[in-house]
Amino acid sequence: MATEVKLPRLGQGMESGTIVKWLKGEGEQVKKREPLYELDTDKVTQEVEAEADGVLLKIVVDSGEVEVGKTIAFIGQEGEEVSASGNGATPSPEAEETDNDATEAAEDSQEEGSPAPAMDSQRERGQEAAARTAAAATEKVADSNKVERSDGRIKASPLARRLAREKGIDIAQVSGTGPEGRIVAEDVEGAAVTPAPAPAPAAPAGSDVEELQLSSTRKTIARRLTEAWQAPVFQLTVSADMTRSLELRERLVARLTEDETKPTVSDLLTKVCAAALVRHRAVNAHFTGESIRRFPYAHIGIAVAAPNGLVVPVIRDADRSTIQEIAASRADVVARARDGKLQRADLEEGTFTISNLGMYGIEQFIAVLNPPQAAILAVGATEQKPVVRDGLVEVRPLLTLTLTCDHRAIDGSDGAEFLRTVKELLEEPALAL
Amino acid sequence: MAELTYREAVRDALSRAMREDEDVFIMGEDIAEMGGSMGVTQGMLAEFGPERVRNTPISEIAIVGTGIGAAMQGMRPVVEIKYQDFLTLSMEQLVNQAAKHRTMSGGQLKVPLTVRTQGGAGWSPGAQHAQQLEAWFVHVPGLKVAFPSTPEDVRGLLWSSIYDDNPVIFFEHRLLYPLKGEVPDELEPIPFGKARVMREGSDVTVIAIGRMVPEALQAAKQAEEEEGISVEVIDPRTLLPLDEDTILDSVRKTTRCVTAHEAVTRGGFGAELAAVVQAGAFDYLDAPIERVGAKFAPLAFAPAMEQWAIPHAADVLEAVKRTVARS
Repeated sequence: MATEVKLPRLGQGMESGTIVKWLKGEGEQVKKREPLYELDTDKVTQEVEAEADGVLLKIVVDSGEVEVGKTIAFIGQEGEEVSASGNGATPSPEAEETDNDATEAAEDSQEEGSPAPAMDSQRERGQEAAARTAAAATEKVADSNKVERSDGRIKASPLARRLAREKGIDIAQVSGTGPEGRIVAEDVEGAAVTPAPAPAPAAPAGSDVEELQLSSTRKTIARRLTEAWQAPVFQLTVSADMTRSLELRERLVARLTEDETKPTVSDLLTKVCAAALVRHRAVNAHFTGESIRRFPYAHIGIAVAAPNGLVVPVIRDADRSTIQEIAASRADVVARARDGKLQRADLEEGTFTISNLGMYGIEQFIAVLNPPQAAILAVGATEQKPVVRDGLVEVRPLLTLTLTCDHRAIDGSDGAEFLRTVKELLEEPALAL
Repeated sequence: MAELTYREAVRDALSRAMREDEDVFIMGEDIAEMGGSMGVTQGMLAEFGPERVRNTPISEIAIVGTGIGAAMQGMRPVVEIKYQDFLTLSMEQLVNQAAKHRTMSGGQLKVPLTVRTQGGAGWSPGAQHAQQLEAWFVHVPGLKVAFPSTPEDVRGLLWSSIYDDNPVIFFEHRLLYPLKGEVPDELEPIPFGKARVMREGSDVTVIAIGRMVPEALQAAKQAEEEEGISVEVIDPRTLLPLDEDTILDSVRKTTRCVTAHEAVTRGGFGAELAAVVQAGAFDYLDAPIERVGAKFAPLAFAPAMEQWAIPHAADVLEAVKRTVARS
């Protein structure tokens, strides 16, 4: 029975994807979990794995945009026939029968089809044959439904879940060997014992080496950052005297009404960067490989440490927003990021990213690009430091900023001018008006 | 220990009760001179006479209705419905009368009636003489339902049925009648609501009833020898009341469960068992519960088609293998 390969929903809110290329050809053997094709969504391009063993019988959609859930190929036994239309996404009413038993389906279609008991044996035979086909179709639909679940739900037996709970194992990190990849008790028990002896034979006996299977989010992060790492980048560092920015923040906080979000230094920085970005569009850009796309507006991504890994929700039109509006947007997306409730739209169309580790007391660091964006700003902590002003040593709150630029899109002087503006605006925030 | 066939064990329970107790008598179609369609009551007319071994007209509603009347008057009648398919004709008496009188009279009336019946496929009796309808009666409060699978159990449970003050529908399977088994010299009543662990195992629990008990035991043997799978086989023996504790203890141990009966799967007693198991052992289940039963179709006369429709040891074995499957 051929399994339909359907376009999976790879993320929240994903409605369609673009097939870039097939990594296997028709007639080729594929194994479950082997990369099958490359799929481009507007967030990422990624390899999608086969969910069944067999022969890639037919590629229905060779390339181009496809709706989620649509059949794009069939995997089955060698020589097996498949329907060319591949309309598995909309099964006929009969095919929705869940029982595979032909006679049973015959009974049902008889009930639906004719009010009188069908005693005509000819007719019954015909119905039975029809039902057999329907049942066969059902089996296919049911099977593919089982294996095509890519909505992030983890299939595990109740026992496996309980064992994982008791042993403190994250069930998401266990790979299932049961039917359709279901995680069964043995898998959890295996996961509980594997880390010690298998992966680290050199480790001293009894050491608690923890091996975590990559979640899809983690895999995406790994792949995209590896790509980003290949870009030719340079970094620029500057320190800004935050005296006036901090004063401004205090004044804003003092004026708050009860239900308003308290603006942070980060919010102020978002506003200042947005103002600087629209003045220096060379930095407010995407590098697409074929072109450089410069934006007249600043949609600023904020790197947030969410439970499942780093996410970068976007604060849109930060250049046209007040600090208070930015604070409200930021509070909203950060809360939703931590609850895992971000929509795809929240993550899209960023033109620039700010990564702030200041709250951990980090003085300075280098951020990795967030492609296709051409630049990212790494923000350290605001710290009291001695500075020389007019020949005198004074103590000032200093903030260290490091800008990472994709040299394919940005030259050193573009980045430097942008960073100078950011510094000026932080030291004299009124200029951001 | 003596060895009796299932048929002889039924007769032994009836005869012993009738010897000891004047209130016990039997009634049914062709049970006197002919000894019943399955020969169960052969010889009883000679021993107990026509007063206590009574032939009836071909009217199931009259047979059961008469039994109810006698039971309410203090007798302990055992009536026989020749084929369980024709319990349909006595449904009004069973469901609306026998099952209800004790409660509706506030306990003033009792109906200590035993309705013996038999059926089952395997000998080409066709669609109207081979059904397994036990599940219907499990749905009726006020009835008790027994379906033993061994000579010892059929004898002990029939005795308990006769001396139960509630109406009992007592199912026998036609293919089990020639089955031989050891029985204690002294008849030991077997309480209702107590399952029997027929075979111990550690990987999968098969809960089987009627003919599927020996089939499940054969499947268990094969599973052990050919696949190295250790199968526990449980016969609930009475479906109502049901020994949930024994079943749940077993499934919690094995973590997998298969139900098996000859009745069609849909709406069969296996569905009730599956519900009991998932509710009581949810966190212990490592695989979906598998149900084995007949295909959903009126049974064909043609032997090949009949055999295709009903479940066998091979079907139990397949289900057992599915529960321990690795993809």
